[in-house]
Amino acid sequence: MIISQETMDVDFVRKVETLSGTSVRRCFQCGKCSAGCPMATFMEHPPNRVVRLLQLGQWQRILAGRSIWYCASCETCTTRCPNKVDLTSIMDALRKLSWDAEGASKESYVQLANKLFLQNIRTYGRQYEMRLAAVFNVKSGQFLKDLMLGPKLLAKGKLKLFHSKNKNLSEIEKIFTRIEEMRAKGEAL
Amino acid sequence: MSRIGVFICHCGENISRTVDVERVALEVGKMPGVAFSTDYKYMCSDPGQNLLKKAIQEQKLTHVVVAACSPRMHEKTFRKAVEAAGLNPYLCEMANIREHCSWVHENKEEATAKAIEIVGMMVERVKKNRSLPAITVPVTKRALIIGGGIAGIQAALDIADCGHEVILVEREPSIGGHMAQLSETFPTLDCSQCIMTPKMVDVANHPKIKLYTHSEIELVEGYIGNFQVTIKKKARSVDEDKCTGCGVCMTKCPQKKIPNKFDQNIGMRTAIYVPFPQAVPNTPVIDRENCTMFKTGKCGVCQKVCGPGAVDFEQQDQLIVEAVGAIVVATGFDLYTINEKPKGSAIKGYGEFGHGKIPDVIDGMTFERLASASGPTGGKILRPSDGKEPKQIVFIQCIGSRAREKGISYCSKVCCMYTAKHTMLYHHKVHDGQAYVFFMDARTPGKSYDEFWRRSIEEEEAVYIRGMVSRLYQKGDKIVVMGSDIAVGVQVEIEADMVVLATAVMPQKGADTLAQKLGISYDKYHFYSEAHAKLRPVECATAGIYLAGACQGPKDIPETVSQASAAAAKVMTLFSKDQLEREPIVARVREAGCVGCFACKKVCAYGAVEEKEIRDRQGNLIKVVAYVNPGVCGGCGTCQATCPSKSVELDGYTDEQIVAMIEAL
Repeated sequence: MIISQETMDVDFVRKVETLSGTSVRRCFQCGKCSAGCPMATFMEHPPNRVVRLLQLGQWQRILAGRSIWYCASCETCTTRCPNKVDLTSIMDALRKLSWDAEGASKESYVQLANKLFLQNIRTYGRQYEMRLAAVFNVKSGQFLKDLMLGPKLLAKGKLKLFHSKNKNLSEIEKIFTRIEEMRAKGEAL
Repeated sequence: MSRIGVFICHCGENISRTVDVERVALEVGKMPGVAFSTDYKYMCSDPGQNLLKKAIQEQKLTHVVVAACSPRMHEKTFRKAVEAAGLNPYLCEMANIREHCSWVHENKEEATAKAIEIVGMMVERVKKNRSLPAITVPVTKRALIIGGGIAGIQAALDIADCGHEVILVEREPSIGGHMAQLSETFPTLDCSQCIMTPKMVDVANHPKIKLYTHSEIELVEGYIGNFQVTIKKKARSVDEDKCTGCGVCMTKCPQKKIPNKFDQNIGMRTAIYVPFPQAVPNTPVIDRENCTMFKTGKCGVCQKVCGPGAVDFEQQDQLIVEAVGAIVVATGFDLYTINEKPKGSAIKGYGEFGHGKIPDVIDGMTFERLASASGPTGGKILRPSDGKEPKQIVFIQCIGSRAREKGISYCSKVCCMYTAKHTMLYHHKVHDGQAYVFFMDARTPGKSYDEFWRRSIEEEEAVYIRGMVSRLYQKGDKIVVMGSDIAVGVQVEIEADMVVLATAVMPQKGADTLAQKLGISYDKYHFYSEAHAKLRPVECATAGIYLAGACQGPKDIPETVSQASAAAAKVMTLFSKDQLEREPIVARVREAGCVGCFACKKVCAYGAVEEKEIRDRQGNLIKVVAYVNPGVCGGCGTCQATCPSKSVELDGYTDEQIVAMIEAL
């Protein structure tokens, strides 16, 4: 797909800039971030191209890919950038904004894991790893993924068969409701 | 009774679009003292000026107000026209109804009312203007050039060839500067020394040029046409008049392992040395810090072997005062280093490149010395660590430059071209070697420059990789270069034998201290500021001081030479007259009121206030008062504002005039 005025969504980029506190316009594409990135070989868009795509308002292309999820937040890019572009914060901001954005990454199941994780917290007041793993495997269609790790973890007491509930579930529910209200009003992400 | 003429300009549509100029002319015509008022489409044009001249003569006008643009734009034009019509030029004032009115307002009614008030104020002010005779100051027709690089040499030769005396001061023991260090020059690849040394010899032999090497500027006093400069001639420990330049002293000196700064510290020299064989003057200098005689008091071999007896351990630093009329500053540049910088410095080094501790990571100037036929390796490209010929060489551009996080945001301008040149020199000398260049952008504007860069890729087979390098580290006897190619979007890793960094061009160390001595301004990087970026690029805001070369900003050789010749032309223009005429808007002291507190002397930025004794007929001292030297006064008015007894007045801006202007509102 070609880049045209219609696909240049600068409003979204402004959100990224506000949230990360850094300007993407400062980048002149020297490529030093990509040169030092330990994860760049796993990304279809290396770090410098993530910034370039933002400069062109092409955030959908970034969120459709896995670059933001492979970023290890090691801050090598931010440390060595000659223009003080805080790429680590940009990656953070993109991950946060991807929650609501259309066309979120299908590549990495990160969003699915995040959603299930929070659902468990809301239901039990704490994490119920057995259920998290089971539901994740079913929903992502990888039924046998890491199955053989289960017995080992169970034997070491790292994984529990049955859940235990938090006593103050109503208090936890209040937190979730408050965040939801804030998100509805646009006060939180 | 004054007969004032008011001339209102339309400035095409610039003024008349928002100001009803005809009404302004009509209203101003009614003001007391105004004998004539009119408007015209372009007052500054020939017909406009003729209209003004004709009106002065026909209407017998005594004062003139031109309501038009800023006085910075056309005050000179109209004062000249007024003078041509027979009036003193300082009886003409400008009312700024363009920048201060029509350009900044939209409502025509209000803008017109404001324009009338602005003109009214100037009418009241001009009534109290005096005829001022032009001030003339004598011009000393000798020029001082600070810095003996290519800029200083070119300016010195141009001025001296015109018949004026030149004093050339150089900090190092030899003139030549950075250009003498270069191997070849872009875009023609001609040998730098071959084109440089004849000019250096010309300087030494020129009857009009007095050369002070190993010398520094200590103090600068005075003003345009009349500077007094104190030069500190550092002790050379060798008598320049006796020395024949035979060089025996250098061959016998037991201290042979001192890093030579001229060879970027990769070559060695003796304690008594000339920086390079073609040095001008060819008189050695003793480096007292490293000389055995100065350290222990025992040795003196050079003195013993010197036939003419030129070696003099007792020589002292000398202070020499020279009178000059103009100064050309040509102090040149220094290079960024990736080494760790002191805390608090805006300039940071490159920790990711090993802070300069990897021996085979060198800068461009060091590469020049390696490639130079007269360099420490005799022109062979050999790496400093083990003297092997590098077969894989990596060049990295924009080190320090265009990196605001490293302290510099500007482009150093010459690195793209000299890196292209380096790849060629390398390819010419190491046929089976491969050069790689990491770059962000290739900036090659200039005659035959882009073709030169393309040649480096197409014919000399350098591999250019668009993308910066994140890290360099030593691995065995190789240096791993971690870069990326942003066009392909992949990381690039090259194991190099040697890495050459195109480090940024920075002003010479101590540029700020020299600027303070000269009273010229500089930017945040300590590059000297020109008076106007476009129209006065070789002049300083301080009259009589001119700039040449990289002390003003990064420049290549052709540009430096052009600017040096331009600065020389400016100096020669100044020297074309015996007397210098300058604007007579200067402060005057009312001696009767002055109590001699000299508050004015403390605040004067130009050093124009002197102490003057007033004596009676018998010669008894009555009092000491302030006196403003009109040749030095810059007409800023600070003294007038400071004087507690209101005894200083600036012509054209007296308290009386300012009050009259306020009352006109």
